[in-house]
Amino acid sequence: MNILFGIHKPDSGYLKVFGTEVSFKSPLDAIENNIGMVHQHFMLIDDFTVLENVILGDEITKSKGLSIDFKKAGIVLNEIIDKYDLGLDVNRLISEISIGQQQKVEILKLLYRRSEILIFDEPTAVLSPVEVEHFFKIINSFKADGKTIIFITHKLNEVKHISDRVSVLRKSKLVYESDNSNELNISDLSKAIVGDINDIQNSEKRNASVKNVEALKLDDISLTVNEVKILNSLDLTLMKGEIHGICGVEGNGQSELVDVIYGLQKNFEGNYKKLIPGGISLVPDDRKRKGFIKEFNIGENISLKGANLNFLPSKKINKISEKIISDNDVRVSDLESPMSELSGGNQQKVIFARETDSGTDSETDSENNILILVHPTRGVDINATAFIHSKIISQRNEGKAVLLISSDLDELISLSDRLSVLYKGEILKTFNRDEFSRFIKSDSEIEPETDPEFLLMLGKLMTGINDK
Amino acid sequence: MDLITSVISLGFVAQVLRLMTPFYLGASAANFSERGGVINISVEGFMNLSAFSFAVISILTGNITAGFILAVLINLLFSVVFGYFTVSLKINQIVTGVGFNLFIAGLTKFLLVYIFSSSSNTPRFEGLPEFTLFSSIPFFGLFLTDYITLFCFLLIFISAYILFKTRFGLRLRSAGENPAAGESLGIKIRNYRYYGILICGFLSSLAGIWMASNQNSYSDGMIAGRGYIALAAMIIGKWKPVNIFFACLMFSAFEAFEISLQITGSDIPSQLIQMLPYFITILVLIGFIGKTKPPAADGVPY
Repeated sequence: MNILFGIHKPDSGYLKVFGTEVSFKSPLDAIENNIGMVHQHFMLIDDFTVLENVILGDEITKSKGLSIDFKKAGIVLNEIIDKYDLGLDVNRLISEISIGQQQKVEILKLLYRRSEILIFDEPTAVLSPVEVEHFFKIINSFKADGKTIIFITHKLNEVKHISDRVSVLRKSKLVYESDNSNELNISDLSKAIVGDINDIQNSEKRNASVKNVEALKLDDISLTVNEVKILNSLDLTLMKGEIHGICGVEGNGQSELVDVIYGLQKNFEGNYKKLIPGGISLVPDDRKRKGFIKEFNIGENISLKGANLNFLPSKKINKISEKIISDNDVRVSDLESPMSELSGGNQQKVIFARETDSGTDSETDSENNILILVHPTRGVDINATAFIHSKIISQRNEGKAVLLISSDLDELISLSDRLSVLYKGEILKTFNRDEFSRFIKSDSEIEPETDPEFLLMLGKLMTGINDK
Repeated sequence: MDLITSVISLGFVAQVLRLMTPFYLGASAANFSERGGVINISVEGFMNLSAFSFAVISILTGNITAGFILAVLINLLFSVVFGYFTVSLKINQIVTGVGFNLFIAGLTKFLLVYIFSSSSNTPRFEGLPEFTLFSSIPFFGLFLTDYITLFCFLLIFISAYILFKTRFGLRLRSAGENPAAGESLGIKIRNYRYYGILICGFLSSLAGIWMASNQNSYSDGMIAGRGYIALAAMIIGKWKPVNIFFACLMFSAFEAFEISLQITGSDIPSQLIQMLPYFITILVLIGFIGKTKPPAADGVPY
């Protein structure tokens, strides 16, 4: 993608756009060739208005050419917004609008520059189900206008839903290409993505014994930040040997709930009881920011937690790295590479290993019996996702209490023993596994599929519509 | 009683407005650099350098215009070097700034002794010509007495216009807020960071020239932390030209008050009074820092 968008230059080979061979030196060249890209991490300036963000680099100026013609730019943008029903206010600051709207600003940037080839890098990862629907509608109207859309995703059902043609890239090679999604065979596609199915290790099956021991109890927890009520009389009990899933649209109190449980947020009201010994482990939502130190190598990152050694000779660090790499099938070229050089999936495997003690010597490490996972497979390739899912189940089977917060409903439904819906800081409803297990169509860990009927009901609950 | 009458006079207000000149020029200078994402704590050194070169060149050549132009050019030259270190080589901006401040302080001291055989000051010289258009107008005639002060007041509007209403300003601010986003839209971030630093060099040269011209000589240490106070004013003013103006007014009011105290011969030890602006700076910063939000990529090499 970076080659297509002029950020990197290819070592060899050529690129043709609309039949002519081109060579991009910078993103500007790509923009001039009507190629636009929405990055996975938005390229927006929080302190700028929607309008300023969109026109930056291609400003409409008054006749003298120096000062910006805000009025004219506003008219131009509003025309595009109306045409594609984007529903944006051009004068709002980016910091004031939702993630979904921010994505629309990114789309507006492309349309403003008359892009004909639109590249989306995992656009749905940050959207709620309702927003995804709207996003697809917008995409389809682009298609109707004759635009070309490149849609990068990890989610197979989205591929099925939206694409006309599919290509699969694995280990920097094109391994699969289809012409028509109607003939798309999902299992062929999965195989192409996963590669050799034996690559996936220890596909754990959940054992039946659920121990009836309470591990953590939140009772009537309320939290108010800046006069906004974020958690509202929330009750939650985690049991040993159980995965408790939390679903909900992002921003309904998920991160604050984690902060309360993990002890990062102390200004809450209500009762918090930890009923079993041992600590709490956390796999945080934003691994690049909160999960590890990107300049440190694997062993150093592991040693940050729980290491009771004052001296860390590199031999010892390398031994830790070796163990993590072999136990977790981490792909890394050099033992001492910094974490930043690993792929997202491999980074997540390392964090997961650190938080589940499988990385350190068991005798030196105090056992943590409660495990909080936030978006454990976000932005992670399908192979690593399967690996992490099987690890989550094995943690549960070992008797740990697992809290799983995710925006991937299929993941939640296939893994959870109990599933709660969080809406406006409140648990709206909790389902037991036997209430929804019949909706799971395939228990495959590669790509679990869920019955749309149950998804629809969850989707409604997540937006606050409670039928009962 | 004398103190009170001297403080509540029109003359005092005019004094405050006039003394604001180096503060506002310095703060505005730093603001252009920081809006582009480069923390430039060497505003202090740049003011010192231009005060020195303006005085020395004016005295040696006997030509104020030559002094003025060369002082500005020397500052721009140093700014390019500062930009080369911080933008092209991506050296830590604070460390580079401290380096420049120390180097310039040493250089001016050395040249002062070398040229004038004095460790404290240059001989007196005439300074910039007066601005006489307003001199017969009451009140305004009291502080709009030179071109730099006049420019300083216009700068409040000019800088706000440039930063928020022009293409240049939008692009400069993108370099300070999220350079990756700007670059993805084809903006040459490094160039804009250089532009910000050059504007900073230019405005701080005016501040230094005003100081030397105002005292009709250059003396070692005459900037006396005004560059740093300007940085504080920029922070308190939340990187916004008009707010910075009010922050600068506060600091210049304390300076004018200190002068009034000295003139009226108060019992308070003069060292204590001279300490006042700095002490106030610390107090105000304690109250303000953390509550203000700098440009998001301020100080981050790109």
